[in-house]
Amino acid sequence: MIRMSKKPLEGVRIIDTSYVFAGPYATGLLGDLGAEVIKIEGPTRPDFTRGGNFSGLLPDNEHRPDPWNCMSSYNIVNRGKKSLILDLARKEGRDVLIDLIKISDVIVENFTPRVMRGWGLDYPNMKKINPRIVMISNTGYGRGGPYSEYPAQATTQEATHGLAAVTGYQGGEPSKAGQSYVDFLAAWSCSSAALLGLRHRQRFGHGLWADIGMYQLGCFNVSEYILDSIANNKLGVRIGNRHRQFAPQGCYRCEGTDDWCAISVRDDQDWAALCNLMEKPELVNDPRFAKVTGRQEHHDYLDTVISAWTSRFSKIAVMERVQSVGVPAGAVLDGRDLHFNPHLKSRGLIEIVNFPPERNVGLQRPMLGRPWKFSAASLSIKGPAPTYGQHNQEVLRETLGYDDARCAALEKDGIVVDKPLKTRDIPDMSMDKRVAIGRLAYWDRDYKKRLGIS
Amino acid sequence: MMPATLDDLKILDLSQGLAGPVCAKILADFGADVIKVEPPAGDIARHTAPFFGDDHHMEKSLVFLLANLNKRGITLDIEESAGREALLSLVKTADILVESFVPGYLTSLGLDYASLSAINPNLIMISITPFGQTGPYSQYQSEEIVTYALSGIMSISGTSDREPLKHGGMQSQYEGGLSGAVAVLAALYAREMMGEGQYIDVSLQEVVTSTLVVHQPMYGWVGAVQGRRRPSGNSYGQVQPCKDGYFIWQTGGGALWSEIAEFFGPDELKVEPFTTVSGRAEHGEELDRLVTEATKDRTMQELFVTASEKYHILFGIVQEPKDLAQCPHLEAREFFQIVDHPVIGRIRVPFRLWSMPDAPVTYRRPAPLLGQHNAEILGAI
Repeated sequence: MIRMSKKPLEGVRIIDTSYVFAGPYATGLLGDLGAEVIKIEGPTRPDFTRGGNFSGLLPDNEHRPDPWNCMSSYNIVNRGKKSLILDLARKEGRDVLIDLIKISDVIVENFTPRVMRGWGLDYPNMKKINPRIVMISNTGYGRGGPYSEYPAQATTQEATHGLAAVTGYQGGEPSKAGQSYVDFLAAWSCSSAALLGLRHRQRFGHGLWADIGMYQLGCFNVSEYILDSIANNKLGVRIGNRHRQFAPQGCYRCEGTDDWCAISVRDDQDWAALCNLMEKPELVNDPRFAKVTGRQEHHDYLDTVISAWTSRFSKIAVMERVQSVGVPAGAVLDGRDLHFNPHLKSRGLIEIVNFPPERNVGLQRPMLGRPWKFSAASLSIKGPAPTYGQHNQEVLRETLGYDDARCAALEKDGIVVDKPLKTRDIPDMSMDKRVAIGRLAYWDRDYKKRLGIS
Repeated sequence: MMPATLDDLKILDLSQGLAGPVCAKILADFGADVIKVEPPAGDIARHTAPFFGDDHHMEKSLVFLLANLNKRGITLDIEESAGREALLSLVKTADILVESFVPGYLTSLGLDYASLSAINPNLIMISITPFGQTGPYSQYQSEEIVTYALSGIMSISGTSDREPLKHGGMQSQYEGGLSGAVAVLAALYAREMMGEGQYIDVSLQEVVTSTLVVHQPMYGWVGAVQGRRRPSGNSYGQVQPCKDGYFIWQTGGGALWSEIAEFFGPDELKVEPFTTVSGRAEHGEELDRLVTEATKDRTMQELFVTASEKYHILFGIVQEPKDLAQCPHLEAREFFQIVDHPVIGRIRVPFRLWSMPDAPVTYRRPAPLLGQHNAEILGAI
């Protein structure tokens, strides 16, 4: 069904001055959808995913002369973009940005609110430069409100936005949830806001500003707890892997060293099917377990019964058997499994992206694609993330039409550079050490062979 | 009155539960006319807890209320020919159809995208299901914990001495709704540029997996697999107790290590090994001990305000649902909407995801009662 030759956002130009995950992943996805994305970073301020806490690992954990171009997380999030390095702290740099704003459709930024205001690039000024621009501002708490200027980032926000309070083992402490969890809520929200803005512009002729605060997105995702508090004065309780209404439900140990399968019994019919599968027909008729209230009361005991059965089989075998009798079950996939699981493979979620040899990153790397399949457009990741300043000349000369003299002046004055003047630490630690201190579970020396990449 | 960005669109929401309905609700909030089409027995979310007054009543599910604001509602039995015909006549003028049935169900009723687009080529249809329309698990039964397990995220949640831990609530469902909205809006943009609708297949498993931008490439770059954190010794990046609750902090942001050390206080933090990233990673247990000792008499609120305002440290506190219900920042951001519901009464409902001053979300009506708009909508066919 290939009727449309073009990707949905072909012809849309996006400027992205945002850092880390939320804004950059939004524009990475919009790039997958066909938009041209120009990523702007500063000479002394490379994106925080190019080094430091959020950057991931170097290829094969080996030193590189340009580690800032090679980090794993940086490359996933910034796939397919163009890179322009511009000193926005200086007026000459902002003049270049202003020229770009004039010829772009969307700008995504995540400076703390006072920065854009200080530069005269907040939305009231932005729309004077280009009334059709769609401006997306993503910050921890959004503009306005008592926490507006508080520094924020996902790991600390997942406590503040209420997810940690309802995540944790039964009776245990609040637990950290994901990896930069709320950043991805923000990435999708930034993307939706940009698309809403583009449509608004088509209908009404002018752009708009979206003011996104990650905190509020995270709060929305615990809405049922907030409503339970408002309506019923309920406290949020940590129930581990159990279900609010069904029983039993849990994550059960399977054969192997750290292998698990989640099982959820939704009703009496599921319960009977599971008991028969486990060859425990006597449990079906046991009055203690006939109704959900009884199964909730005896949940600990039922967990031991189920674990005794699941521990005899691999996690995949448990999942397949339980699913075969119509009961929800899912093996806990780990980072390696994601690359080899037959379902994910058949769906093609992870794409193999080619890197040019001069990148010295390896010729092929597997990267997460998108969770959407469009019938009228075959999408794929356009290419690796750009090296630092890779498209300086292209953007200045071709996109902006600057002449030799202007380009030379920008370089001479250090407004435009192609090597970061400051970098962040890349933790220097062997893989074995990382495993020994618990930062990693394990590593496969032969991962390339397993993945079939060069 | 300001124009609403999507107020020219008609949307049919056949989805149930939370993910599809949240996707359709986002479109409704920006102005679309969304008709929720429920089977005669109602959306399963009507039986999802919590309930207003803890009363398991069709019209009192707070989950249904949340996810279906701004929609009108009808009931149709699409397994009967009269119901199918009514649906087809609604499809003729619809822009978007959202659904979440088991893959193959609509095809078995002759209501798949090929059939629907034959009568309305402009139609955009989105299916949001646990594992997508294709692949060996497409017919699998799912629940939140099952989607979560298969997404990969549970393998890094919890502690290494215990089982993997699901996050609280129904995160994959909310995420699926939010992520699905991006896909619909992209298809809408494409339709306006290129003139035709299309079909979108969204897998909740993949929605969650696609958030693992740190975890997944560690394997692809080095063959490394992250597990669950140890039960003690590296809770740096994990919640820590204080006088009246828990807090969490991180390096990075605007604060130097020396400022962080000053905020917490102990002199030991101001010297090696704690002054370097790898030193802190290696001496996590000692770091935890020093920080916990230094904060045991300080309150969450004081720590949060001092760390954020005076030291610009990345700092969070574990807020409970009741704290969020009363949060002054959410209030200032107009997060809540007062809803007048015919059965529940007046209630504040989480509503506004973000601000767009020139094209704000608008609140128009509470979630529909079962079949509330049958006469109004079906009578007009």
